[in-house]
Amino acid sequence: MEFRPVILDDATSDETALQNVQSLYQQGIKVIVGPAASSQIKVVKTYADDNKIVIISPSSTAPTLAIPGDFIFRTVGSDAGQAKALSTLAYQEGARKLVIFFRNDEYGNAFADFLEQYLEEKGVPVSKLSYQTGLADYASEVATLASRVQSEGANGVILIAFDKDGANILSHAAESDILSNVRWFISEGPHGASELLTAAVGRFASKVRLYGTRPLYIANPLYEDLAKRVEERFGIELAVFCEHLYDAIKLAGWAIIRAGEYDGEEIRNALVEVAKTYYGPSGWTMFDSAGDKAQQDYGVWAIVSTAEGYKFKDVGVFERGSIVFTEQAYP
Amino acid sequence: MIPGFVQTIINFVQYAFFYMIFSLPLTLSYRTTKVINFVHANFITYGAYTAIFLNGIVGNTSMAFASLLAFLIVGGIAVLNNLLVFTPLQKRGSSPAMVMISSMGLWIAYKYILYMLTDIAHFYTYKNFVSYGRITYSDIPSLRIGEVNLSQAFVAGMFTAITIILILYLILEKTRMGRAIRAIADNAMLAEVSGIPRGLLINLTWFICGGMVAIGGVVWTSFSGAITPEVGDSMILQVFTTGFIGGLVSLLRTGAGALLIASMENIGIALLNAYLGIPVSFRPFLTFVTLITTLILFPPLGAGGGLPYRFLKRRSEK
Repeated sequence: MEFRPVILDDATSDETALQNVQSLYQQGIKVIVGPAASSQIKVVKTYADDNKIVIISPSSTAPTLAIPGDFIFRTVGSDAGQAKALSTLAYQEGARKLVIFFRNDEYGNAFADFLEQYLEEKGVPVSKLSYQTGLADYASEVATLASRVQSEGANGVILIAFDKDGANILSHAAESDILSNVRWFISEGPHGASELLTAAVGRFASKVRLYGTRPLYIANPLYEDLAKRVEERFGIELAVFCEHLYDAIKLAGWAIIRAGEYDGEEIRNALVEVAKTYYGPSGWTMFDSAGDKAQQDYGVWAIVSTAEGYKFKDVGVFERGSIVFTEQAYP
Repeated sequence: MIPGFVQTIINFVQYAFFYMIFSLPLTLSYRTTKVINFVHANFITYGAYTAIFLNGIVGNTSMAFASLLAFLIVGGIAVLNNLLVFTPLQKRGSSPAMVMISSMGLWIAYKYILYMLTDIAHFYTYKNFVSYGRITYSDIPSLRIGEVNLSQAFVAGMFTAITIILILYLILEKTRMGRAIRAIADNAMLAEVSGIPRGLLINLTWFICGGMVAIGGVVWTSFSGAITPEVGDSMILQVFTTGFIGGLVSLLRTGAGALLIASMENIGIALLNAYLGIPVSFRPFLTFVTLITTLILFPPLGAGGGLPYRFLKRRSEK
């Protein structure tokens, strides 16, 4: 069997994602890997369900999209799990009053709600502050964040962001005396963004002992092998969700072969079956009843100083309800 | 005073500098050429990306050098747009709306050309140019006054805004060339009949305006923590609003517009959040409200000539 990929760029735009899915369907395509963001999945979901198009997202994590029986699959666990890991990390690191600063979209709102719930269960009061996405800059929002941190007397900030907005926010936070004197915790979104590896953000990360969580199956030889091959071929480090994307493509291929015919419903049924026995760089890919990765582990990442400059490093793991650090990130 | 208000004030002044740098040339170019130019967004972006390519490919950290090169490149692009698109269309009798639509086409084309350039640069350097971190320049100081830190971007923004205002004032008020440009802006036909080389001066206006905006783009790279090929697009609402406050005619009112928009976006939203609990995600909404209000209140750019304009006109007709 020969596979022919058709690649369309949606620039993480909701509208373009829907246009692309419609365009791909008109070309007779029944299996789509992507789109990436939860807000995009929400937009394409009805069209995909109505037309029996199997959508496999490697990076959508909003818990609100965990819906059984639809045509949406996600090779990554929902943020309900990550919120547990991130809230544990913040609590374990001594945060006792937090401001959650988050994207005002499907991903950010749902993540923030779960974080609030888990932190309040631990007795940690939180104040939530959302920001609009897609702006040229976030200096004004960061100033309001500093004001909120000071007025609430918070000793930590949890940032729920993507790469560009996350980098922008951290670069401005690095210039704020208030925000440079509280602890920072961060979601998986900005992991891998080269803008975070500037000297200013690197120094800030070290000063505030910035830690983030991300979906990761630590000490997986298949992950190490993929990371090595990507570095050799493209000269870049594996960023968050790369292994989930790799497994999404593999699963799509195996499901099409197993289905025996190019039919959305047949491929969906086959996908559930092949995922039960496939083990890839992201670990065991079996889906739960909502079509999300059933078993998702979480790692802890930091920005560390090395001889070649600042780099992302996995420094811990979320295990049996607590964070276990595997190495020291900051002096 | 709300906590952290000093930083809000600094941000207000910083943004006011940026909006002046970006909007004053927009007003000057419209006043002289009568083209509502959407490529203005690309001028900002291409200025920023001149600095980014210089930094990412050859390691340049001189803002002065990046600014000079950005001025020449983007000024040249602005002149080419005029020579190859706007002037031919105007000579064929195209309406201002048609010329504006052509500028929209150029806007989109330039955006995707830049995406191609970033891909090519990535192919050769393995660096991510689609989103680039803040550049720290070696020839711009940062200051500390008492407890207040003034960043490189603040110093560079202040210097650039003051310089642009001074240069525009000197050119327009104190030189024969400036008087000729103003004559074209007031009545192009009459100016041409009087022997003023209209075509040459319009090209010169485009060159100056494009170049000045590009320098603002370079300064932006010292301010923002993540710069993308969409940076100019995401500022176009604010820049045009600032220009509309000046009626796209008055440089003085455009400057006032920059102060108004910057204060709404920084002080306004901070106060609304602190005292009324309005989320900061409403910030773009405030700009939009200002734009709509301006369009309604100020003729001739307001909707249908502006409500007060129509009201006053009706009264004067009686």
